[in-house]
Amino acid sequence: MSLFGAISISASGMDAQRVRAETITENLANADTTRTPEGGAYRRKDAVFSSVPMGGTFASALFDASGGTSDGVAVSQIRVDETEPERRYLPGHPDADAQGYVAFPKINPAEEMVDLMSASRGFQANVTAISAVKDMIARSIDLFR
Amino acid sequence: MTVSTLKAFLPNPVQNLPGISPPGPGDSDSFANALGGAIGSVEAAGAAAKTAASDLLTGGRGDVHTVAIISQRAGLTLDLFQQVRNKFVQAYQEIMKMPM
Amino acid sequence: MVMTFANTALDLGNFLSYLSRRQEVVASNIANADTPGYKTRDLPPPQAFSDLLHESSLGAEEISGLPARNDGNNVSMDREARILAENTLRFNLASQMIKGEIRDLKSAITEGR
Repeated sequence: MSLFGAISISASGMDAQRVRAETITENLANADTTRTPEGGAYRRKDAVFSSVPMGGTFASALFDASGGTSDGVAVSQIRVDETEPERRYLPGHPDADAQGYVAFPKINPAEEMVDLMSASRGFQANVTAISAVKDMIARSIDLFR
Repeated sequence: MTVSTLKAFLPNPVQNLPGISPPGPGDSDSFANALGGAIGSVEAAGAAAKTAASDLLTGGRGDVHTVAIISQRAGLTLDLFQQVRNKFVQAYQEIMKMPM
Repeated sequence: MVMTFANTALDLGNFLSYLSRRQEVVASNIANADTPGYKTRDLPPPQAFSDLLHESSLGAEEISGLPARNDGNNVSMDREARILAENTLRFNLASQMIKGEIRDLKSAITEGR
């Protein structure tokens, strides 16, 4: 069932890129967040992708004449930046420490934007793939007529 | 044509026509065999189509285009069988209409 | 009664299966275009299809010659987009050919009636 499997794979791609875009958006929104409920500055988050076998049911794998199953993708974890935050000298700032330094998130908005565009393109590519596969399925169904 | 020659045709009109040999012991089976074989092909093709379709629908096994080709083959097998059968019926009726 | 249903339709049917399988591999590459360490996979190209008539050996393998980025991923979106489009066009053509054969056979059997 290659074609329906392909749709599942592309759908997983759309999901992963969407989570990635949401994560980047959260980073952008919190680029200057110096105070969080957990304490301290906001820590940059990163959606980590990993391949996921999407073979369908075991029964269909038995009948599947192809040499193996193809992989979809999933966000295996949202990695939080554990490194030391950036410290800027702002003595009057409400979140300044005793030495007058404020901890800021290590977020570069320009980099995040580039990443966001990549996620958007990736999302769109999966949409295009689903569209092509749907066309092939429709033509297959047309063979019944 | 005299009455006596006409009578020669009556008992087994088809068999005594020149050019047509009387059926031997094995011959009358072969048509039935051929017909039985043909029906078997139709049924087998139909069964294959049903199995392929249900595998696809319930178990997600197989491809849509493969099931479509198997189904079309079953339909065409049936069409062919019907056409051949119709021809045979036609030919039989033509023969039966022949004045003896 | 021998039902020789267009042997070419059988080869075309296998070709459709090959194209479907290859499209699945392309979908996998596109979905994993940003997965660290993922390597592009593909089936043998259509030119080699006559050697692949028994689809039981359709294993997708990593292909060589694609440059990798820092995280090891070597998916080229241009390449995948091109193959996606080619597969779709070939599938279109092959399925139209099968439809034509079915139509011709039906016409021959029923003598146009």
